[in-house]
Amino acid sequence: MASLVGIWAASHGPLLVRNWHEVPAAHKERITAGFQELGRSVTAAALDVLIEVSPDHWANFFLDNLPAVCFGVGEEHAGPPEPFLKPFPHRALRGHPGLAMHLARSALEADFEPSISHRLKLDHGFCIPLWRMGLERLPRIVPMIVNSIEPPFPSVRRCIDWGALLRKAIQTYPEPLRVGVLATGGLSHSIGERTMGDIDEAFDLECIRLFQEGTQAELAAFLEMRLPITGNGAQEVRNWAVAHGAAGCRGFRLVDYLPVPAVIVGCAFAAWELHRPAA
Amino acid sequence: MFSLTASRMTDYWLSKLFFDLQDPAAAAEFRADRESVLGRYPIAGEVKQAVLANDVTYLAQRTNPYLLRYFFFAAGMPEEEFRSRLRNG
Repeated sequence: MASLVGIWAASHGPLLVRNWHEVPAAHKERITAGFQELGRSVTAAALDVLIEVSPDHWANFFLDNLPAVCFGVGEEHAGPPEPFLKPFPHRALRGHPGLAMHLARSALEADFEPSISHRLKLDHGFCIPLWRMGLERLPRIVPMIVNSIEPPFPSVRRCIDWGALLRKAIQTYPEPLRVGVLATGGLSHSIGERTMGDIDEAFDLECIRLFQEGTQAELAAFLEMRLPITGNGAQEVRNWAVAHGAAGCRGFRLVDYLPVPAVIVGCAFAAWELHRPAA
Repeated sequence: MFSLTASRMTDYWLSKLFFDLQDPAAAAEFRADRESVLGRYPIAGEVKQAVLANDVTYLAQRTNPYLLRYFFFAAGMPEEEFRSRLRNG
């Protein structure tokens, strides 16, 4: 059987690449250290497959059809389409159709309704963390797109439930794969709105506190209340909620958090300690 | 074609234009000849004028904010100016 061996989360703002030259040295150092710590942990986990949870920033889907959740079930995914990511070293990323279809089927059997795609483009949300973590060997990637870009969005409760479902589905996959989950995006930021550039540090710190010590209900209630009134980029915390659900809503360990005006994101890096007992 | 999304109206064809301009070749063509590219989309006259005039706040009411950012990036507006126009109208 497959096993879930690691869960991580990291910010993914495009300015982490596009505006890197303007990031102050002290921030560069901490951002780099955050990504590298996750990279070492991912490498040590010796993953066969990484389920990456990220939104689609209009790379694949448009208003004609906007899935709430979509699994990439292809043998291969296309690399990032954004011109500023041309130096990203992978023009194609290997998928794992067997596990991806198993996740989709398990979801449908549990009354969840994901869509599937046999050919996804993995935009900056997927590729910047993979790149910045400095992985020498990429595991196979199963993309899980969660819509946090164009409303309406799946509820935070549903995202947590999706995480729990991922965990169960991984544990029933017959191949002995080592599987990880990486959520990307967030924390607070604001894109294309009057508040663009603002970082809601109070929101970020409360998110972190609730991931660390809040109950599932407290976390969901806080996010449902605050996500509509903070910057729109914070909607990506839904991906972190999926990761948190996959971890059984326990074991959150903050690697680092720093608001970075040069990339207009409250940047955060985290890992879940899967073997920590429930509080 | 409009639809209500959260607190804004979504103009489908305006959004489609912005979506299509993510392609670098299409963006280059748009920068060279805005009116010609705009002519291929059934966008209402007032909205077309707002595109031609780089009217950030007007367009922000009619499309997704990420698409809005992509558009003005593709159109060559510096991000600082884009942010300033969003804030100050």
